[in-house]
Amino acid sequence: MNLKARKMVATGDHAAAYGALLANVDVVAAYPITPQTLIVEDFATFVDDGITDAEFIMVESEHSAMSACIGAAAAGSRTFTATSSQGLALMHEMLPIASGLHLPIVMPVVNRTVAAPIGIWCEYNDIMPQRDSGWIIGFIEDNQEVLDMVLMGYKIAEHHDVLLPFMFGLDAFILSHTVEPVEAPSSDEVMKFLPSYKPIASLDPDKPMAIGTFTPPEYIQEERYQTDKCMRNAKRIIKNVTKEFADVFGRNYHGLIEEYKTDDADVILITLGTVTGTARDVVDELRGRGIKAGLVKLRFFRPFPVEEVRMLIERENIKAIGVYDRSVSYGVGGPLYIEVKNSLYGYDLPIINFLAGIGGRDVVKGDVEKMYKILQDVKDGKTRKDIVWINTRGVKE
Amino acid sequence: MYEIRFHGRGGQGGRMAAEALALAAFLEGKYAVSFPFFGAERRGAPVRAFTRIDDKKIRIKTQIYEPDYVVVLDETLIETEDVLEGLKPDGMVIINTQKKPEEVKLSRSVRCATIDATTIALETIGRAITNTAILGAISRATGKIGIDAIEKAIIEKFGARLGKEAGEKNAIAARKAYEKTIVGIAKAGKKFEGKKQWLPTVDELPLGGSIGTLQTEAGLVGIGSFSENKTGGWRVFMPVVDEQRCTGCKICWFYCPEGAIKMVDNKAKINYDYCKGCGICENECPFKAIEMKREVRI
Repeated sequence: MNLKARKMVATGDHAAAYGALLANVDVVAAYPITPQTLIVEDFATFVDDGITDAEFIMVESEHSAMSACIGAAAAGSRTFTATSSQGLALMHEMLPIASGLHLPIVMPVVNRTVAAPIGIWCEYNDIMPQRDSGWIIGFIEDNQEVLDMVLMGYKIAEHHDVLLPFMFGLDAFILSHTVEPVEAPSSDEVMKFLPSYKPIASLDPDKPMAIGTFTPPEYIQEERYQTDKCMRNAKRIIKNVTKEFADVFGRNYHGLIEEYKTDDADVILITLGTVTGTARDVVDELRGRGIKAGLVKLRFFRPFPVEEVRMLIERENIKAIGVYDRSVSYGVGGPLYIEVKNSLYGYDLPIINFLAGIGGRDVVKGDVEKMYKILQDVKDGKTRKDIVWINTRGVKE
Repeated sequence: MYEIRFHGRGGQGGRMAAEALALAAFLEGKYAVSFPFFGAERRGAPVRAFTRIDDKKIRIKTQIYEPDYVVVLDETLIETEDVLEGLKPDGMVIINTQKKPEEVKLSRSVRCATIDATTIALETIGRAITNTAILGAISRATGKIGIDAIEKAIIEKFGARLGKEAGEKNAIAARKAYEKTIVGIAKAGKKFEGKKQWLPTVDELPLGGSIGTLQTEAGLVGIGSFSENKTGGWRVFMPVVDEQRCTGCKICWFYCPEGAIKMVDNKAKINYDYCKGCGICENECPFKAIEMKREVRI
């Protein structure tokens, strides 16, 4: 493979497929589902055009897709798949097998609402239930980050201190079907950053080995501890790989979180996904009006950046924190809100959860402005709220 | 930053046009984003696509509500919806029509460019696909993007999809449209009923959205409510039944995905209010009693 560096105008789905191409994956096993289908279609085209000699396996379901990926990865292949919504739900059973066997599969998940009611638009209720599957879980702001995340994903997942599968969410349609400029490095550059996968053990007919066998209680607890340790190690490796990526390709993603104008902020909003981009514009506008608004982009949900979130709070300038969620854990609040509250146990600081964009409803600038307005009011002691459903008919904000 | 909204019908290539425009802007060194309306698209249904162009990176990820330009690929759409909705006061509309701007009647008087893209497409490409010719008109009417970049983008994008020769023909169509675009002012006077949508509160919405048929201020909702959505307007070709040949076998009735065929006196009768012109009935009729004919609308 000899791909030159190029600039393209590409959908998020194409960026994901092109990332897999550059990562020189050996095996792709996948099943189509809107709005993910373009990823595997585009990759199938690469195979058909002879650009890659990767094996493309057509399967009969997402459950089988993950099963095939697990087999391929266990045999030492660099393995890729992609899914969305109900497809991820169907895959759920196989996910802990991939992590339990420490197989560094990389999988973009195009975040789409899970039925009922049925919809095809963006919501995080597909990826959030995978929280405890042992997969690293990332979120994406734009199409450039999609391509870059595939490359960083393999580097992180395949690190011998990590060896965990890696999924990341990209917003349905808002990224998956939207074209924007994307810079793709050359395959030579990528090869230097991401050499071939070196498994610590792999299936080999000449040296028979059993994996994932029937295991009594004498061993499983230790295995769980190992996996927990791998996930904790991933924090360090994510930071190192992000830095190395910035050195090589010039794009700095700042590790587990990225802060935007937080230095002197008195209120901050923690976001994930594409709302981050819109919130950046809102923060700039608010700053123009003298409001000290700050933004924190959460890049990884697992491992969760507990220490990073705490470090924010250690700064005395911050008086109130807002947490944006695009799905709800019924009766409690958004999953990110739960995590942030958990991270900030013992700190006396108002944390307000904003639920918006559920089911793919557009989160416009006015919605984000509203979040900052509420944070200002909380800071000034005018109101105290926990969970706010933004732009929900018949519900007081 | 400026924003463009494309109005077309599913299958006319509005999305490809919006993406090619983004590519053209990118080729001129600008940052550009394009996306389709996030909805269920079907051939013939009114659809929208969008492009945002700026000198610097575009971070905002919302949909477009107040475009600077509106582009209409299919003239019939200006009759059925207010294409000027949300258009900035000093904005401009670019329409594929044989009329001059002064002959176009819209909901308000507005800067308007017209181009007979259909004729240009038929002459140049041999098909009534207008999504490349219209790009030439956009270049001319807005003055924001060069025709050279438009041509390059068309050759790159359409060439990759349809082959080099087709890509070049499409670029020629854009150039011709660029030369023939007329800029003027459209007149006001067209009335549209405000679009109504049922937007119940949390308390009004039945649990789990489980509804039978509900009469709301925005019309019927739920089972059977599709009767209010006369999808016959999506048609380009209409099925015509030759009653001499129709044996009343009901095969067309069985296959019609819209339930738009009724048997009357043992003959197939098409309900043109709902027939979308898919042509399945023509394909399935064993007696060649149904023929798809180019529809002429007044």
